[in-house]
Amino acid sequence: MASTTLEKSTAVKRDDMDPVLEIEGLNISFFVRAGEIPAVMDFSCRVMPGETMGLVGESGCGKSTVALGIMRDMGNRGKIVGGKIKFKGRDMGEMSEEELRDLRGSKIAMIYQEPMASLNPAMRIGKQLMEVPIIHEKVSETEAYDRALEMLEAVKLPDPKRVMEAYPHQISGGQQQRIVIAMALLSKPDLLLLDEPTTALDVTVEAGIVELVKELGEKTGTSMLFISHNLGLILETCDRITVMYSGEAVETGTVEEVFDRMRHPYTQGLFNSIPLPGADKNSRPLIAIPGQLPLPMERPKGCNFGPRCRFFQEKCDSGHIPMQHVKGELDHRSRCVRIEEIDWNDEPERNVVDQPAVAGDTVLEINDLKKYYDVAANKMFGGGDTRTVKANESITFHAREAETVAIVGESGCGKSTLAKVLLGLETATDGEVLLDGRDIGSTMVEFRDKRTVASVQMVFQNPFDTLNPSHSVGSQIIRTLEKFGMGDSDADRHERMLKLLDLVKLPRAFAERMPRQLSGGQKQRIGVARAFAGEPRVVVADEPVSALDVSVQAAVTELLMDIQREARTTMLFISHDLSIVRYIADRVVVMYLGHIVEQGTTDDIFAPPYHPYTEALLSAIPIADTSVTKKHIVLDGDIPSAMNPPSGCPFQTRCPRKSQVPGTLCETDVPPVRKLANGHEIKCHLAADILDQMEPVIVLGEKGSGKGDIATGPSTDSTTATLSGGDSSGGVTQGAAAGVSLVTGGAAALAGLSAGAEPATTPAANNRSPEDTVETKGMKTATKAKAATGTVSRKTASKPASAKKSSAATKAKAAEAKPAAAKATKPAAAAPPKGKATAGEATSKRKTTAKAKTASTAPAKGAKPKAASKSASAADAKAANRAALTAAVRGKASGATKSKATASKASGSKAATSAKAKTATATKSAASASKSKGTAKTAGKSGASAQPASFVKMRKPKTPDDLKMVSGIGPKIEGILNGMGVYTFEQVSKWKKADRDWVNAELSFKGRIEREDWVKQAKALAKGGEAEYIKVFGKKPR
Amino acid sequence: MDRLSAFEIFTGILAQFTPVWIALIIILGLSYAFRARLSLYGKLFDSPIGMVGLVLVLFWVLTALMADWIVTFDPLDQISGMKNKKPGWPVRGQDGMHYLLGGDNLARDVFSRMVMGSRTVLAIAPAATIFAFMVGTTLGLLAGYKGGKSDTVLTFLANMVLAFPVILLFFLLVTPEIRSTGVPLYLSGVLFLFPIIFFVLLFWSRYDGQGNKLYISLGITLVLGLWAYSGLAFNADPLGVFYMDPNLLNIFVSVVFVNSPTVFRIVRGLTADIQTRDYVAAAQTRGEHPWYILLWEILPNARGPLIVDFCLRIGYTTILLGTLGFFGLGVSPESSDWGMTINEGRKLLALYPHLALPPALALMSLVLGLNLLADGLREESLKD
Repeated sequence: MASTTLEKSTAVKRDDMDPVLEIEGLNISFFVRAGEIPAVMDFSCRVMPGETMGLVGESGCGKSTVALGIMRDMGNRGKIVGGKIKFKGRDMGEMSEEELRDLRGSKIAMIYQEPMASLNPAMRIGKQLMEVPIIHEKVSETEAYDRALEMLEAVKLPDPKRVMEAYPHQISGGQQQRIVIAMALLSKPDLLLLDEPTTALDVTVEAGIVELVKELGEKTGTSMLFISHNLGLILETCDRITVMYSGEAVETGTVEEVFDRMRHPYTQGLFNSIPLPGADKNSRPLIAIPGQLPLPMERPKGCNFGPRCRFFQEKCDSGHIPMQHVKGELDHRSRCVRIEEIDWNDEPERNVVDQPAVAGDTVLEINDLKKYYDVAANKMFGGGDTRTVKANESITFHAREAETVAIVGESGCGKSTLAKVLLGLETATDGEVLLDGRDIGSTMVEFRDKRTVASVQMVFQNPFDTLNPSHSVGSQIIRTLEKFGMGDSDADRHERMLKLLDLVKLPRAFAERMPRQLSGGQKQRIGVARAFAGEPRVVVADEPVSALDVSVQAAVTELLMDIQREARTTMLFISHDLSIVRYIADRVVVMYLGHIVEQGTTDDIFAPPYHPYTEALLSAIPIADTSVTKKHIVLDGDIPSAMNPPSGCPFQTRCPRKSQVPGTLCETDVPPVRKLANGHEIKCHLAADILDQMEPVIVLGEKGSGKGDIATGPSTDSTTATLSGGDSSGGVTQGAAAGVSLVTGGAAALAGLSAGAEPATTPAANNRSPEDTVETKGMKTATKAKAATGTVSRKTASKPASAKKSSAATKAKAAEAKPAAAKATKPAAAAPPKGKATAGEATSKRKTTAKAKTASTAPAKGAKPKAASKSASAADAKAANRAALTAAVRGKASGATKSKATASKASGSKAATSAKAKTATATKSAASASKSKGTAKTAGKSGASAQPASFVKMRKPKTPDDLKMVSGIGPKIEGILNGMGVYTFEQVSKWKKADRDWVNAELSFKGRIEREDWVKQAKALAKGGEAEYIKVFGKKPR
Repeated sequence: MDRLSAFEIFTGILAQFTPVWIALIIILGLSYAFRARLSLYGKLFDSPIGMVGLVLVLFWVLTALMADWIVTFDPLDQISGMKNKKPGWPVRGQDGMHYLLGGDNLARDVFSRMVMGSRTVLAIAPAATIFAFMVGTTLGLLAGYKGGKSDTVLTFLANMVLAFPVILLFFLLVTPEIRSTGVPLYLSGVLFLFPIIFFVLLFWSRYDGQGNKLYISLGITLVLGLWAYSGLAFNADPLGVFYMDPNLLNIFVSVVFVNSPTVFRIVRGLTADIQTRDYVAAAQTRGEHPWYILLWEILPNARGPLIVDFCLRIGYTTILLGTLGFFGLGVSPESSDWGMTINEGRKLLALYPHLALPPALALMSLVLGLNLLADGLREESLKD
C-alpha cells in the first residue's frame, strides 16, 4: 500500500534554493469590446526546484490564464498589466521575443488538456518528437531519433518503435497524452506547466498518467505547475497548492496545510461540497456554496468571495484584501481578513434527512439484455462485411422504487447504450426490460404510449447542451408537459410549469429566459425539472453533475436527491466517478466493455471482495482527503475497443490479478456470475479464497495505532458493525459496512471514548438532542458530540435494505439520548458504540496529522478542542448563548422542521460570536424563528427587522434632497427610502451601523450595497452640496 | 440650354433619390432606437461592415419600392435627339429637364432605366432564394437526420444538379422546344409544392393533438398555399391574383432549381451536426415526432449560418439574373433589367461608357451590400 501523503511532506521545504519560478503580484487583463476585463489579479507564487505546485479552482477563476501568462502567450487581447514573472531569477518581462521563444518548449514546457489538439495530425509522431531536440539543441537527426525513442520508453508506451511511425489519430487518448508528456520532457525543461492534463481521460487511464507524471518529476527533478479543478488529483500530485477564486489566489500553502487546516471560507466551501468518504446523503449531506461565481466585470468590492461567504461581515467589503500569513505556518497564506476571527472548525448546517427513502417494490427489471450493433464496412452501398459491436452483453439487474442504482464504468463500457435502450432510443437485441412488469425493451420511443414515455426520463450530462438555445425555458417545459399529456389547458400547463420551477428552486421569472441567460447549474436544474415533469417512475441521470463546477455540483446533486426522495422515483445514476456514486447510490452496478462485472449494495461494492476491475477503479479515483490511504493499482494500457473485444473475460487484457487464475481460463471463457451474499455478484474466475483475502482499497484514518485494528480483517469488521447496529437500532443487519467506516471505527476507538466524555464538560452539549447535534456547530466540543450521532446514522442509513431500520435506529437513538441529555449525564455512558463511531467521524473529518496522533497516543486528550488557545470565557459565553437558543428553538421545532430551526439557530449563534452585545438580538431572532419555523434567512431578517431607535424618520419636506445624487441610489431605491421616511442627505449621513443593517434588511438586496459609502456621500452632500462632494470624492455626484 | 456639370449631375441624382433618403433615415433611426430588442438585426449596428451592407441593401430595396417616384422619365420613352447623349444632357423640348446619366442607344434615359431595373432583380432574387431555401431545407433536414438510403439518394441527386453546367441548364430551360415539352412547368409544379409541405409539417408537428390550433393553422396554410400554388405554378388562379409571366416563371424555376442543392447540402451538414446534441436526445426521449425535432429543435439552431447564406445567396442570384439578362434569357427585349442593359451598353463601351457603367455599378453595389451584410451578420452572430 503506497501512501499518498507522508512521503511528500518531507520533500517540500527547500528555501535555501532559488525558486525556478517566482510570480509577484501578477495582473493579467483581457481587452475586449466591453473594456478591460481583469482575469488574474494580484497573483503571487513561487515554485522551487523539484517541487510541484498545484493550482486549483473552478472554471473562469483564471488558473489557465496564469499558465498562459507564464508562457507569455495570451493572444492579442490578453496583456500582463502588472507584476513580475521571474524565471530562474530573470524577469521574463524584460526578455526579448527571441529569448522567450527559445525558452518556450525548452526550459518551460506546457501540456494541455486535449492531447489531440497538441499534436499535429498530419505528422508522424516520431517526427514531431524529434523536432524538439533538433530545434532547441540542434542535434543530429539520428541522435534526435534515439532520444525520442528513449523518451517514449520512459513514458511507458508499449512498442515505441511502432508508435514513432504512427500518426496521432492511430493511438488512443491515453497514449496521446503520454506522447505529449514525452514531447514536453524531451528538452529537459526546468518547469513543466500541466493544464488539466487528465481531464479528457478515463479514470483508470488518468491514474496511469498521474503516476507517470509523479515518477518523472521525481526522476528528472523538474518543477511542475499542475493546474486542475480536481482537489483529489492535486493531493496526489502536488507538494504545495494555490487555490484560486475569481481571478485571485485565495489560499496557498503546503498540501497538508491547506487540506487539513484550510483558512479561507472558499477552500472550506469546496471541501464541503465534494463527496469525500464520510459524506452520506442522509446524515451528512454535501453543502453547496450558495450563489455563483461573479462575472469578471461584476466582481464585488473587497473580498470576491464575500457575497457567497457565510462568514461575511462589513469589513470584508471595505477594500482590497491582501494575502495574509496564517499564524504559525510559514508557507500558509490566505486572502481573508477575518482569518483570526473565524472559527475554522465551525461547520455550516447540513440539511440532514430525517427519514431516508425506503426502497419499495421492484420498478425496473432487466433480464439478460443484449444490444448488438451491426457496423457495415461500406456504408455507401450497404455491402461488404458487417461487424457486430456488442455494446451490452447479458445485462441483468433490477431497481426498486425510490432506490438509486449507480451504473459505473468508463467510456465504452456500454452504460450509455443501456440508457438508450431504456429510453427507447434503441431496441434491445435480446432479453427484456420490464417496467412495472411490462416489457419495454423492444419498443422504440415513438411506439410507446404517453404514460410509458413519461415514466422513463433522463437528465443529460452536458448542461450547455441539454436545453435548446432557441426556445425559452418555460416553453420547453410546457412542451414536455404537452407531450406527456399533463394538464388540461394551456393555463393549467403554465401553472404546472411554474410549479416545476419552484420544485427545482429557481425563480419563476426564469420561465421567460432563454437558456443562454442561465448558468450551467441553473440549466441543469431545468433539465431536472423537465425529467420530473411527467411524474416519472425511472429517471436515468447520465453524469448529471460531472460537467458542472465543484461548488455547483453539490447543489444540483442535493436537489436531484431531494426531488427523487419526494417523488419516490427510481434513479439510475450513470457515472464514472466512484466518489459521487458512493455518496448517492444505494446499489452499484459496475460495467466494463458491455458486461456487468460486479453489482451489489454500495457497501458491498466498496468493501472486499472486489472484482479486480472495481478494485482498480476504486484505487484510481483521486480523493481529496489527506487521511485516506489507498491501495495503489494502476492498470496497464487502455480500454479495448468494443469493436474488437478481447476473448474470454473482457477485463483480461488489463487485469492485474490474471496470474492468480490457473491456466488460460481468463482468455478462453467468459467468467460465470458468482453470487455472494446479499445480492452481491461478481463476474470473475478468481477463486473464492482469493476473493476472501482481498483487502480494502480505500482506508480512512491516520497512520497511527488505529491502523493496527484494520489488520484484524473482515471478521472483526463485521462484528463491530453488528454490534453498533444492534445497539443503536436493536437489529441492523446488512453485511457490515466494512472497508471504510468500520475501519475507521476501529481506528480510533479509544479516542472515541474520550469524545463521548467531553460533552459533559460543556453545558451546551447537554441540552442537545442527537438530531440537533448533527447540525449544530461552532464549538469544538459540539463537533465531537455531533460526530458521535452523525456517524451512527450515517452507518446505518448507508445500507439501503435496512434504510427503514436505520431511520428507526436514529429515532431510537434520539429517544435514548434525549433523556440522557436532560439529565446531563454522559452520552458516552448511554451508548458505548457511539464512542466508536465518534472516532470514525473524528478521523474522517480531516483532522490534522498531529491531532490524530494525539488522538491515538493520548486518547483522553484526543477529543479536546484543538484551539485550546481560545479563551475559556468566550467559549462559555457562546455556550450559554447557544444553550438559550437551543432551548428557545426546541420549544416549537420538532421532527421534520428541526433542520430549519437549527438553521436559524446557526445564524443566531453567528451573531453572538461577532459581538456579545448582540446576544439579545440573536435570542430574539431565535425566538421568532421558533414561532415562525423561519429559515436561517428569515430568522436573520426578523432579528434585524426592529427599527433601530436611532433611525430618524420625517415627513416629506417641501424640498426633499435628490437622493439619487448618491451613487448607488437609483430611482427605485429612492422610492423605497422615501417610503421609509428618508428624504434628506442629513438623515442618511447620520445612519449608524444598526440603521444601515436595518435599511439593508428593508431593501432586501442580495449581495452588498456600499451603504457605508452612502453615508459618506450623504455627509458630503449635506454639508456643502455638490461642491463639497467634488472636494471629497474628486468627482461630480450623479 | 447647357449640359449639366458633373457636380450638378451628382446633386441632381441625390435629389432624385429624396424619398429613398427619407425612408432610409426613418428605418435606420427606428432600428437604432429599438436595437436592444431586435436581437441579431439590432446587433448589426455594432458592426461597421454590417452597417455599410445594410445601408446599401436597404437603399436598393427602397429604390425598387419607390422607383415610380424616382424615375425622371418613363424607362421606355424614346425622346428624339437624345440618342447616346452624354450624362447631364438637356432634353429637347422640355425645359429644365435633363437626362441625368445620358441617353442610350435608343434615346432612352439611362438613369430611369437603372432605377427601374432594380425592380426586376429585387422581385426575383429574394423570392427565388426563399423558395430555394424551402426546398433545400426540407430535403436537407430529412437527409441529414435520417441518413441511410434516403440521404444517399438525395445527396446523389443534389450532386448531379450541381455538376450540370448552370448556363447550359438555363439555355435548355428557356429553349422553346424544351418549354413545349412542359418540363419547366412540371419542375415548377414540384418546386412550388415545397413551401406548402414545409408549412404543413411545421404546424402539424407543433400542434398535433391540440385540436383547434392545428386545424386553424393547417387550414390557413392549405388555403393560401394552394391558391398561390395554382396561380404561380399553373397560371390557374381562379381569382387572378397570383400570376407569373411565363418568361419570368422560367427564370424563377431555374434559379430555384440551381440554388436548392447548395442549400440542401448546407442544411444537411448542419442537421447532422446539431442532431448529436443532448436537447435533440431530450426531444426524442419525450417521444417527439421526427419532424418536430427537425423543424422546431434543429432548424432554429441552424439559423445563424442559414441567415448568412441567405444574404450571400441573394447576391449570387442577383449576379445570376444579371448573367441571364446579359444573355438575353428570360426577359423581354425592352426590359430595363440590369444584365440586359449592360449587354446592350457593352457594344458601344469604347465610345459611350455611360451606357453600361450605371447598371454595372448598381449591380455591384447591391451584391457588395449583400455580402457585407452577410459578413456583418456572421460576425455579430458569432459574438454572442
